[in-house]
Amino acid sequence: MSNPQEINGGAAVAMVGKDCVAIACDLRMGSSALGVSNDFEKIFNYGNVYLGLTGLATDVLTLSDVFKFKTNLYKMREERAIEPQTFANLVSSTLYEKRFGPYFVGPIVAGINSVDNKPFICGFDLIGCIDFAKDFIVSGTASDQLYGMCESLWEPGLEADDLFETISQALLNGLDRDALSGWGAVVYIITKEKVVKRLLKTRQD
Amino acid sequence: MSLQEALPDSALHSTASSVPIEHRFNPYSDNGGTILGIAGKDFAVLAGDTRNTTGYSINSRYEPKVFHVGDNVVVSANGFAADGNVLVKRLGQQIQWYHYNHNKELKLSSCARLVQHMLYGKRFFPYYVHTILAGLDEDGKGAIYSFDPVGSYEREQCRAGGAAASLIMPFLDNQVNFKNQMDPATNGTEPHPITYLSLEEVLQLVKDAFSSATERHIQVGDGLEILIVTKDGVRTEYSPLKRD
Amino acid sequence: MFLTRSEYDRGVNTFSPEGRLFQVEYSLEAIKLGSTAIGVQTSEGVILGVEKRVTSSLLEASSIEKIIEIDRHVGCAMSGLTADARTMIDHARVESVNHDLYFDEPIKVESVTQAVCDLALRFGEGASGEKRIMSRPFGVALLIAGIDENGPQLYHAEPSGTFYRYDAKAIGSGSEGAQAELQNEYHKSLTLKEAELLVLKTLKQVMEEKLDSKNVQLASVTADKGFRIFSEDEMKVLVDDLEASMVDEEMELQQ
Repeated sequence: MSNPQEINGGAAVAMVGKDCVAIACDLRMGSSALGVSNDFEKIFNYGNVYLGLTGLATDVLTLSDVFKFKTNLYKMREERAIEPQTFANLVSSTLYEKRFGPYFVGPIVAGINSVDNKPFICGFDLIGCIDFAKDFIVSGTASDQLYGMCESLWEPGLEADDLFETISQALLNGLDRDALSGWGAVVYIITKEKVVKRLLKTRQD
Repeated sequence: MSLQEALPDSALHSTASSVPIEHRFNPYSDNGGTILGIAGKDFAVLAGDTRNTTGYSINSRYEPKVFHVGDNVVVSANGFAADGNVLVKRLGQQIQWYHYNHNKELKLSSCARLVQHMLYGKRFFPYYVHTILAGLDEDGKGAIYSFDPVGSYEREQCRAGGAAASLIMPFLDNQVNFKNQMDPATNGTEPHPITYLSLEEVLQLVKDAFSSATERHIQVGDGLEILIVTKDGVRTEYSPLKRD
Repeated sequence: MFLTRSEYDRGVNTFSPEGRLFQVEYSLEAIKLGSTAIGVQTSEGVILGVEKRVTSSLLEASSIEKIIEIDRHVGCAMSGLTADARTMIDHARVESVNHDLYFDEPIKVESVTQAVCDLALRFGEGASGEKRIMSRPFGVALLIAGIDENGPQLYHAEPSGTFYRYDAKAIGSGSEGAQAELQNEYHKSLTLKEAELLVLKTLKQVMEEKLDSKNVQLASVTADKGFRIFSEDEMKVLVDDLEASMVDEEMELQQ
């Protein structure tokens, strides 16, 4: 109960493939050992950008609304949807604004840039330091497990189907070794043509 | 209530000698490293990296921590190296004594029970280690036993222990016990059947697991030493890991 | 023997000039006064048999216990000062249970025997500083029967602390005659059933009283049933079997 980032539990992961990206999360929201909800999705969509938010559930909800507000304003001013890179900087500056009273979250961003069609993912710490990774980003209470899975399963140049299998296996097996994560999972496979959302069948313990 | 709140103002301004400073000896430290055991049909492997650390310092790039203690039993006690070494040394002596007293080889299941008592014997000043035992059971099948610091134990197909256990363990669930995998032959309607991996496959998994752990964990690296137990005895393989 | 009494037959820790420990030798004599006990090992298991001296018709025969379980797979028969056997059997039981606790396996029969014999020498100080715990040697010998990874086994443990393994062994007052009988009758291919009858027949020969189902007791150790003392009903059936086989033999002789 001492670490706000670990009270509610939850995990998220993003991966880069060949002309595609994937982002996935679990569905649990708990209060320490007690499971409270199995319908708590941690991935939020802003145009062609996807944001995964793990950490303190109240901050997840607050921040997801803050970004909805900010991306809507952006769209009105710029008359176009926000690009993943731009959104990443928006996340970073929004978090750093609260440098000394931070949101207890672990955000990750995934999307395909609509100008150069290149996949983009990145992650942040709770005060907005960006981690531009070329391969994968993990976040949440199962981050150790996800690092281990991703580091051994991921390889460059995965096609969309293979990327789906890889991120699913990484997430599922990572979740099963974390008591605070699980209770269902969703995966988004994002290509420039379409976005496919899949619900994964998981253990319910 | 903090110490400062508890003291009257005068105590805060007085000379150092009037403020008692508590010194405490900490009998434990963490020497990092990771170990991994996998059992096969007729073999078992127990692998460990060879880096030994305290804090951010590397004490040694080659300090073996997986040992053959006799009777085709290999063991590693990962965590606080001093405790681990003592445990392994004592276990070797206990096996010798068993030979003298009973004039026969110590079975792996008996060795596991013995280790439990050695660990529980220090229930109130524990050996700060995660212990893994590998060898062959009475039927010649590969076997892994893993222990918590105070002797609770379980026979398993595979187990990772130490600093990067949380990174490696889900990978093992997935690749050794085929967790979350479906059987392709049933068009994904049935779980993947449990089958034994060959020694070659297991060694490759071990190397992959350690190079992944080395990549993401600062206490893991330098070298990988794998002890392989078959009915013909114990064999050692060494391969380098990244040294950064 | 009793005429050669000297200074040396009092202390248990002093050799006589001829190199003898009289108290230990006398303890062996105490066994020769005891009721007869017999053990026979076969490839199927071990049979133990004892005679029970029912000295009075008012004595409850079932309260005479001369065959006792040590563990599921080991038991023993005794002869001599049977009260002394309590200490030994307690020790053997503790040793056996501890072995199972520490090694997750049943203890070997030889190791049980060794443990008992280690105790038998504790009338003196131990080699590594163990305290003297008894004033005199035990006055009882044990036939320890058991089964382990090496198959069925029979051991004879003496108060002197030595033990030997036997195919068939008799101890107690009738041991000389009984041992001679066993020597004649024993062969390696004995079945368990044959061994039961052999033990009973041998006891019958050396017993002073007429053998019946109350004044003998049998026990067996087998792979599937472990150590088991025969019930009164089983003893009745066996005694009847014995009578029948005796009659058969006499008939054969007459012909």
